[in-house]
Amino acid sequence: MATVQDIKRRLRSVRNTRKITKAMELVAAAKLRRAEARIAALRPYAERMRELMIGTARATPSRGFPLLEAREDLRSVAILPLTGDRGLAGAFNAQIVRRALQLEREVRAGGADVRWVVAGKKGRSTLRFRRYAIEQAWVDFTDRPTYADAVAISHKLAELFTGREVDRVVMVYNHYVSPLTQTVSVEDVLPIPRTLLEEEEKSAYEIALEGDFIYEPEPEEILARLLPTYLETTVYRALLESAASEHGARMTAMRNASKNAGELIDSLTLDMNRARQSEITQEILEVVAGADALTQ
Amino acid sequence: MATQEGAVRTFDLSLVTPEGAAFEGEAEMLIVPGAAGEIGILARHAPLVAMLKAGEIRVKAGGQWQAFAAGPGYFKVQQDRALVLVDDAVRAEEIDVEEARRELAEARALLERVDAGEAEIDRWQLEQRLRHAENKLAVAGRD
Repeated sequence: MATVQDIKRRLRSVRNTRKITKAMELVAAAKLRRAEARIAALRPYAERMRELMIGTARATPSRGFPLLEAREDLRSVAILPLTGDRGLAGAFNAQIVRRALQLEREVRAGGADVRWVVAGKKGRSTLRFRRYAIEQAWVDFTDRPTYADAVAISHKLAELFTGREVDRVVMVYNHYVSPLTQTVSVEDVLPIPRTLLEEEEKSAYEIALEGDFIYEPEPEEILARLLPTYLETTVYRALLESAASEHGARMTAMRNASKNAGELIDSLTLDMNRARQSEITQEILEVVAGADALTQ
Repeated sequence: MATQEGAVRTFDLSLVTPEGAAFEGEAEMLIVPGAAGEIGILARHAPLVAMLKAGEIRVKAGGQWQAFAAGPGYFKVQQDRALVLVDDAVRAEEIDVEEARRELAEARALLERVDAGEAEIDRWQLEQRLRHAENKLAVAGRD
């Protein structure tokens, strides 16, 4: 049986661990609130961007934009998993990598080649460990992504796509549902689906009411610039959702860890008291036995 | 109806960035940096969609002018509702001069590398970034 000293030592270590996990939980909760606010801040921009794109597309008969080009023959597909830079967030990183690798097998089974582009240190190290060639990795911002990060990623994706190095780009990321729930989403980002430019039911009357717009420069030219901007917005939204999911996952994981530590502390305290009691009983028995021996 | 002397017509203005709204409310006049030159907007402007380059956006609201250093983006006005979508907008009085200088130096260095054929970054975007940093400095210097 463990001595009181041993149990005390373990108790101290578990208590320290609980302090750390509690602190990490609180930090994650604060970061999560900020990340949620940023998702909410992006929404009006994204919605109006889409409206503008639909309106401009209506004024443009042409659909010959490079980012819209759907290719029949898929020779190469780029997979972009969005992971975090740090661990200790439950299954957050593992589930993304698992889904991405599953996707890779599906793509290869379809006869196409796979090119990896990855965001986050965790994804990069896992892929490297498995000896996959990584086209490009973006790290050190997944905690707090900025719009400029999304621009950098989008630019590379557009370059790969328009340069015909890949015929399709798929993003795998944690879609943020609530602090407790994230679902792994697989989203096609390139080519940009044409259906996006077709608007929801709008009557001719409503369209007439909006009047004829003057475009400066020509709508074709504006749309040619709007499509890459839309791509940036899509990537930025995914980065923000992934960041919020990461904080949510870490918060949950750390809450569970704190709870487990609490249970461990309870049971260790019980063990310690039991051990102390039996030590005392033992000592009394020894004293009584010693006294008995003396009186005889 | 006796029209009051000096009563100015206003229109709704939203200046929106991916980080949230920089300005939301009634405005009397708006000046945006169009791709082909500055565009001034008053109430009852004809429907217009324009591409904006990085530059200074000026808003007159409540008789006061406010200036923003803004990145490239888009502009739309229709039925007295104006919408400015830019990738970044900083109020003139909130510009961090040090940060702007650093951004400027960084963009210049990148541009040199692009010209030397060492880096593959979209020149147009880089030029916009450069102009944005220069513009922030210019707008900040005015105050």
